[in-house]
Amino acid sequence: MGRGTRLRMFVAFVLAGAIASGVLIQAAFGQETTGATGGTGQDEDREKVVFTWGSAGETSSLNPMSGYLALDFYFWMPQYYLLIDWAQKDFSAEWSLATGVEVSPDAKTFTYTIRDDLTWSDGVPLTADDVAYTLNLYKNNNAYLPHNYLTQIDGDVVATDATHIEFSTVEPTTLYSGNVPYLYNYILPKHIFEEVEKGNCPDGQDPCTAKSFDNVPSVGAGPFYIAEAEQGEFVRMVRNPYWEGAEPHIDEIVYRQFRNNDALAEALKAGEIDFAYDLTAPNIFNSLKDEPNIATVAASVPLFDYFNMNTGSAYGPETGDFKQHGDGHPALTDPVVRRAIRMAIDSQTLVDKVWLGYATPGTSVIPPVSAAGARWEPTGEEVISFDIEGANQLLEGAGYVDTDGDGVREMPTDSIDPGRPLEFRYFVRSTDQTTIDAAPFIQKWLRDIGIETNVEAVSTTRLGDIENAGEFDLAHWSWFPDIDPDTALGWFICDARPPDGKTYDNDDSYYCNPEYDQMYEQQRAELDLDKRWDIVHEMQQILYEEEPYAILWYPPLLEAYRTDTFTGYKPQPEINGDPLQGYSGIGEVWLSLRPVSEGSGAAAETRGIPAVVWIAIAAGVLVIVLIVVLRRRRLGEEDV
Amino acid sequence: MRGYLIGKTAQAVLTLLFVLVFNFFLFRVMPGDPAAILLRGTAAFNPETLEQAREDLGLDEPLPQQFVTYLGDTLSLNFGTSFFLSGQPVNEVIAGKIWPTVLLVGTATIASAAIGLVIGIYGGWRRGSRFDVGSLGFTLFVYAMPEFWFGILVLMAFSGGVGPFPALFPTGGYATAASDLTGLGHVVDVLNHMVLPFFVLTVAYLGQYALIMRNSLIDILGDDFIQTARAKGVREKQILWRHAVPNALLPTMTLVFLSIGFIFGGAITIEYVFSWPGLGWLTVQAIDHKDYPLLQALFLIFSVAVIVANLVADVLYSYLDPRVRAA
Repeated sequence: MGRGTRLRMFVAFVLAGAIASGVLIQAAFGQETTGATGGTGQDEDREKVVFTWGSAGETSSLNPMSGYLALDFYFWMPQYYLLIDWAQKDFSAEWSLATGVEVSPDAKTFTYTIRDDLTWSDGVPLTADDVAYTLNLYKNNNAYLPHNYLTQIDGDVVATDATHIEFSTVEPTTLYSGNVPYLYNYILPKHIFEEVEKGNCPDGQDPCTAKSFDNVPSVGAGPFYIAEAEQGEFVRMVRNPYWEGAEPHIDEIVYRQFRNNDALAEALKAGEIDFAYDLTAPNIFNSLKDEPNIATVAASVPLFDYFNMNTGSAYGPETGDFKQHGDGHPALTDPVVRRAIRMAIDSQTLVDKVWLGYATPGTSVIPPVSAAGARWEPTGEEVISFDIEGANQLLEGAGYVDTDGDGVREMPTDSIDPGRPLEFRYFVRSTDQTTIDAAPFIQKWLRDIGIETNVEAVSTTRLGDIENAGEFDLAHWSWFPDIDPDTALGWFICDARPPDGKTYDNDDSYYCNPEYDQMYEQQRAELDLDKRWDIVHEMQQILYEEEPYAILWYPPLLEAYRTDTFTGYKPQPEINGDPLQGYSGIGEVWLSLRPVSEGSGAAAETRGIPAVVWIAIAAGVLVIVLIVVLRRRRLGEEDV
Repeated sequence: MRGYLIGKTAQAVLTLLFVLVFNFFLFRVMPGDPAAILLRGTAAFNPETLEQAREDLGLDEPLPQQFVTYLGDTLSLNFGTSFFLSGQPVNEVIAGKIWPTVLLVGTATIASAAIGLVIGIYGGWRRGSRFDVGSLGFTLFVYAMPEFWFGILVLMAFSGGVGPFPALFPTGGYATAASDLTGLGHVVDVLNHMVLPFFVLTVAYLGQYALIMRNSLIDILGDDFIQTARAKGVREKQILWRHAVPNALLPTMTLVFLSIGFIFGGAITIEYVFSWPGLGWLTVQAIDHKDYPLLQALFLIFSVAVIVANLVADVLYSYLDPRVRAA
């Protein structure tokens, strides 16, 4: 070894020694800054009660003007009021921001009384002006979701004084009468959104419009408001200093976004989060069932999966804008065939095999979780049971017989297309595993009744186009209807059929029944709630008997939470509902959630290697690099 | 040499121009209406709101008009606003994801290249030895292994804690959500979140470097100039490091620079498993939602990165290997 080399080696070791000393010095300091959620003021953070929940879903927007996904609502519920709320117990109507409504005798003018004791989180009082402004903002900008509930209002909503708003409708309606919580419109702060409309977003966002505004930080009137959010990562809500209601037991609500349910489940097990929302996969949900200090809930939510049958895109009556289009199989225009298909599908088996028993077999288009009293359920003779033999007899009796002995029935001689085999295109969604998993069962059952299907998995986008064009026979999809039955029942009226193969609309089964349409209008205008429900029940019965949709199952919302950190969840509905009370204005759950014991609600500590070890690793890498460089140079010198 | 450089640069610029135009049309020929994708399955899905959504997204304009707007905006580096992120500026959305992407994929690429090359060099040098047989089996395995599968195993072992494996690291994300950590505390927090995805990516990537380096070195070691060096009495280590490795590195260079070009593309599966906020997963979401402005910007960035990396590789190649220049 030459003198120069020895010198360099010496320098290297001196450097390494210096770094190692630095490591030791850093040790004490480093431990102070790691392992806790707060880099500074760690003690302060430890005392802070933080409820952390997570999911593998992504928000569409934190601004009610633009958001449209179920997850978004969980960030509006702790901060914005609805005029009328859904009761936590059973979804019945409950006064909230409004304390009453006066309905004109012709049921066309509505005057709401607004509370006068509320203050926004920036200290500005909430008045009827905010309510009128918000409803007009939604209405005049066609805000995707909120606009839906305002379509019957004629002209603007007017604030007649600080505590009253008034509006009129063209037709008499029950939907705004206070009987049901139909107005699913979160009330926003006028003083913020008025500025936003002028292009002055509080955070300087550019472009700034009422729809593009990210609403972070937000100004809310509930116990919490959004203080911070990082798209795709987290949302942090903190206490509203002007909140005068019952004092919450938590200081912050933190939402963490995961990309997959495995990671979500691991985070719950490790105590990184207190609540896992929408676990989606039943097998992952099952894996949490036996974990200590974890409770699981397969909650009921308003959601249904349906087997869509093309009842006549190419054959239905041309009313309104609708023009016959597409090439749906003519056999499906016959209610007998659709009923036979319903009889050949065993929803209970699908629930057991596809959902491991966590879903509920489906019947009506109004799910078990809906406005109190709105749902109709078949009983006794009305129930269409799984009955392969019965389905075969039904088809046989209607003239659908297998004339050539190939196992597939043909259409009767007096039908639209005599002799055409019952061979159907059956689409499932490549992005929804449950639709794929159900297909082999349904295909086999249909084969048992002499119907052949060709199953094809396509993307959601593609299936939307296919249905819109009417170029399908059968398809498996799902809907997330409103609590009030009006929206879901509106998907089956003649005018809701996609009119021309290019323009989208909601009646994807192309069901059209003038009698049903008339009942739809009647239920909208009926002020007596019991009478309205009678009509709504009858409509559901018609849909069940005519089967444009075979409702396969009502999927659950799979959730799990730690029992050793927080208590005080408020399932909605009370029996087997979502513990986070998924439908509300200011949800009671955010006031009732509290730590199980002192300290159990503290933010989970950050796991990982302490700073001191990281510095040692960095020093080690540096030493290795130095040694390599020196050795290379030595080789070079020896080469000369 | 100057002509070679000008030629390569002109090629890169032309490719870039092609990408600029192609980007606009590529995503618009995909089936489906972005407005319908946004609202399908929600109660907001009806003809009126669909029309409004199309207007909000700027899709009601004629296609040539949209193209002119796109060209003008892109040339002034304004990529518009995202569809599915409710009008957030694309520049901001990408800016928020680009650093985590480069940090994770960049460091993993460097680490895997360094480790892979060392394994390949020692394996090729001691061909047939126990180390070579073992490392060959290992590198072939990790090369063929699905990253997703390995990632889930590592996540379950070291985040959830299974059997003898301690639950050491966070389950995902770039940093602790909504924490107030700053300075060293924040750096350590990010490093702790990065350990598992970095480890999985490094292991998943190193196989390709090791295999190419090993094969390249074995080829070089059979060349005449190596025999000549041995005949002249040059020491074995000198032969390896001074003569064989520099020559064997040439084919590996292409792979390294291609990988560097792809760094910006992120690592979709790893971002998915470890909830890492990178450009890869953002791209998947943008495709799902047919978010034209976001897709256009992302694909332009990816293309620029690959074109620039290739250009650098071409230029470096010409310096390292005079035969390239001559050709």
